[in-house]
Amino acid sequence: MPLPGKHRVPPEVSPSPSPSPVSGRSRLRPALGGGNRSGTGEPTRSAAPAGELWLAIHLPNHILESLCQPAVAAGEDAAGDDAGHVVVVDPGRGGKVVCACGVTATAAGVAPGMALNSALALLPDARVLARDSRRERTLLETVAVVALDFTPRVNLDPPDGVLLEVRGSLRLFGGVRQLCARVGERLRARGLAPRIALTPTRLAALWFARSGMEVVLRRPEALAGRLAALPLACTRWPERSLRSLATMGVHAVGDCLRLPRDGFTRRFEPQMRLDLDRALGHAPDPRAAFVPGERFAARRDLEPELADTARLQSVCEPLLDELCTFLQARGASVESLELRLLHRDAPPTRLRLHFAEPVTAAARIAALLRERLARAELPEPVRSVRLRSGPLSEARVQAGDLFALDRRRASAVPQLVERLRARLGEEAVHGLCLVPEHRPEAAWEKGDILLFQSSGKGECPLFPGPRPVWLLAEPQPLAGDEQPRYEGLLEIEGGPERIESGWWDGRDVRRDYYVARTPAGVRVWIFRERRTPGGWFLHGVFG
Amino acid sequence: MNGAVPHQCGGLGSLSPIPYPPSPIPVDDLLRHPGLWRAREQGGAALRPGLPTGFALLDRCLPGAGWPLQGLVEILADRNGIGELSLLMPVLARLCGGEHEGGWLAWISPPHQPYAPALAACGIDLRRVLVIRGQAAEWAMEQALRSGACSAVLGWAACRDRQSLRRLQLAAEQSRCLAVLFRRLRDGSEPSPAVLRIALDGGRDGLEVRILKSRGGRAASVRLGWASFATRAIAH
Repeated sequence: MPLPGKHRVPPEVSPSPSPSPVSGRSRLRPALGGGNRSGTGEPTRSAAPAGELWLAIHLPNHILESLCQPAVAAGEDAAGDDAGHVVVVDPGRGGKVVCACGVTATAAGVAPGMALNSALALLPDARVLARDSRRERTLLETVAVVALDFTPRVNLDPPDGVLLEVRGSLRLFGGVRQLCARVGERLRARGLAPRIALTPTRLAALWFARSGMEVVLRRPEALAGRLAALPLACTRWPERSLRSLATMGVHAVGDCLRLPRDGFTRRFEPQMRLDLDRALGHAPDPRAAFVPGERFAARRDLEPELADTARLQSVCEPLLDELCTFLQARGASVESLELRLLHRDAPPTRLRLHFAEPVTAAARIAALLRERLARAELPEPVRSVRLRSGPLSEARVQAGDLFALDRRRASAVPQLVERLRARLGEEAVHGLCLVPEHRPEAAWEKGDILLFQSSGKGECPLFPGPRPVWLLAEPQPLAGDEQPRYEGLLEIEGGPERIESGWWDGRDVRRDYYVARTPAGVRVWIFRERRTPGGWFLHGVFG
Repeated sequence: MNGAVPHQCGGLGSLSPIPYPPSPIPVDDLLRHPGLWRAREQGGAALRPGLPTGFALLDRCLPGAGWPLQGLVEILADRNGIGELSLLMPVLARLCGGEHEGGWLAWISPPHQPYAPALAACGIDLRRVLVIRGQAAEWAMEQALRSGACSAVLGWAACRDRQSLRRLQLAAEQSRCLAVLFRRLRDGSEPSPAVLRIALDGGRDGLEVRILKSRGGRAASVRLGWASFATRAIAH
């Protein structure tokens, strides 16, 4: 987390003069580029908070990058070739028009806006993919999470931009150039091709980045002059307005700034004038801050497909590292994870990891995942791995203690339970608790171990007779009519204890219980059924 | 505390690797490490006191005057329910409270369902009972012993190979808990690394407890009348 460095507040910036000679008309009516004093109620001073410095990240290839994962460590060349042949179509527009394409496709003459049929004619072996706005959003959020490493103030500019306020982080990262280089490096490491620009206002930085000009501009006065050369396409104004501006001979931002202010306001949408003011820092530009998602999700596409769980484990480890970085950035921990293994035809295999307590450590998650993967049965080789976290909770950091025996024991139980569950299954580990009930088989139930710790001390029930330590799952019929037999003639030692209960739920019992001993010395708990046809049953053993 | 710090630590070489730095090991733990040999225990059999069994006759036959807390205890019986659990109930109830508070009782692959009301009636704290089922009983038992979370681990496993027995004995040696493995009488003829091996035979009038092997003690045989069990159960 970058610490805001101490910085001097620069002197109040006066509105920049118009960058070019103004015409006679606009001398009477102020131009858009200058500070205005007319009655349109516009601010005359710089409205941007003094000293902000915005770094814009623009992803020109975001459509492609969201669909083709950066080459997985396995085979870079193969994956890279593959991505080159990709042609992306927009399903929202009938799926017939190319909206992005890979390097090889571009070289073959395919271009965005082209009909899919023409593209296929140029490149017969093209891989046609459908655009997926959810994945584009995910990509943008991934970039924003990276950006959070550099500054706490991050805005999204969908579909392809991220903005970072970096004034406070300059000292920590060693200056503007260093910072831009670091941001670029981090994104390129993820296989992205970002354009980065830095200016005192958000919009100007975005416009530069969209135009492919990686400028670094710290003085607000210089903004108007530098923006002038940008083509108007970078503003993403409505097509109609851009066309009518073009017919007026206005092609660049600078041309626009020279236009008279009220005329421009009257003829075009107010948003356009506001954009120009914001880009120059004459109007405030409030935006919702980016709040990192409450869940972690990541995926890896495997090429070639894997069937070996040990190799899957090694594929998952980088994902786990990513997860832990994500958790650390938030001071958070997770209680559950879902790993989905996608196959070509078979339905995906879902592995759910439940931790007995919230965890943050990669090693602990990896150990559990290994047990779980070893138990998993894969119907087919795996082509893609998705890791998704459950809801996040605040991480609890425990202070070390020289004499912390009890606390260490307390933390050892959840770990033991989750390790056993990972290998033996969720149902294999349980606790015991009492139910106030007369019927012996209903007087207990399985309990959740970790809930127990907090519950109060269980009351010791009072029974009229003894109870056996082992209870059989089903009463076992015994031979003998008057004298029950089990491994020989049973010798009755105590009883009877009559239990009649449960008429209300259809599982009523009417029994007389006795304690008896076999010739071998085993003490057993038997009962005589009081309903017809009667008979003796063995129900428990006093170990 | 200072007085208890050993000035000669002969067995340090056999200490298991200490996980550091994730959690500092409490000094009390270090001092109780079974690999630690203290000079003041020189001469004697270096026997730690065991946990009283609750049966005076049996205590007299055991070297630590009770169940050993380090090392594996094997109880051999051909029938479930012959009295093997009645023999352990007093010590299990004791492990739930007092200085052992916080430890868990793990029941691993029990032959039948442990019946909660009966355990509660014997004085066992049900909040500390962990029942584990499944195929890998030896593995689960070893995990429970090594976790340090349990004060008693009861396991029902065949343990056909000596390797797994040895692993269990090692894990039990390094933990500070009562580790009991229930096996069949015929397994008594095979050698075992366990610290204590007890064979049980029942009869109409009482339980015959034969100590087959006892480290630091002698083989012996005790007959516990059923009456002594009965009073015990009522007392709790």
